[in-house]
Amino acid sequence: MTDVPVEAYLVVAVLLFGLGLFTALRRTNAIMILMGIELMLNAVNLNLVAFSRYLPAGLVDGQVFAVFVITLAAAEAAIGLGIVLMLARKRQSVDVSDFTELKG
Amino acid sequence: MSAQIVAFGLLGGLVLYSAWRVATAPLITHAALFLALTLVGVAGFFFMLQAEFLAVVQILVYVGAVMTVIIFAIMLSTPALIRSGERPTLIQQILSPRYGAIPLLVGVAVTLLLLLAYGTVSWDQVPLTFHPSSQFPGGSTAQGTTGLIGEALLTRYIVPFEVVSLLLLAAMVGAIVLAVEGSRGKEDEARD
Repeated sequence: MTDVPVEAYLVVAVLLFGLGLFTALRRTNAIMILMGIELMLNAVNLNLVAFSRYLPAGLVDGQVFAVFVITLAAAEAAIGLGIVLMLARKRQSVDVSDFTELKG
Repeated sequence: MSAQIVAFGLLGGLVLYSAWRVATAPLITHAALFLALTLVGVAGFFFMLQAEFLAVVQILVYVGAVMTVIIFAIMLSTPALIRSGERPTLIQQILSPRYGAIPLLVGVAVTLLLLLAYGTVSWDQVPLTFHPSSQFPGGSTAQGTTGLIGEALLTRYIVPFEVVSLLLLAAMVGAIVLAVEGSRGKEDEARD
């Protein structure tokens, strides 16, 4: 049986990472930037799980790492979107180019 | 062509197309729905890689919880953005330097750099031991990889596991504090 080689998964993950980076850079909406970060985290997870498939029998270390990444992504989404909601309530805007007080 | 390769091609096309739409969709709600589609496609990849537990967790946590939070945030924060209006076309967006050309250039450069790095690896020397699906842990047993992950989490990875649970607790408390502070600020403004 021919299986899909690990390189194919890596290429898809790289393209997904590039698209996530593109999203995070080109959008000015804070929620869209968070969505781009989620795309990049998913690309990393895909790499981890793809390599985990090639570990010796009985080892799932890559998948354990992916579990941690998913947990961190959930925490990041909760905090990030909480901050976004607070900004929206206080300043009536979620556009990051409106928050430039710290610009030197 | 085996069924695996066909499934890989379909999932890859789905994931990359919907990720592209996340990057370029003019309406933020459409971008959110395409993000959900991307996450489902990645869950499909996890199934193909015999990581059933992760695939289910991906759908539960990402498509279930994170997407709900994102859509709530969109609806609560920018109701005006949900309605469609006059929007620049994709070509106009790409041509505007800060929100099109430079991000595109950086994204393409990073992607090409990573692909070139993969190109220099001699893959036949990488010690990847491939196990046919039938011999893979969980492939033949009823428990799947779930038991193995649970065992690893509570033995070798017990310290990172506890640290992550503490972090999740801190994030939860932080989110509640943010929400309470936000509503208190509103009351103060109303009083003023």
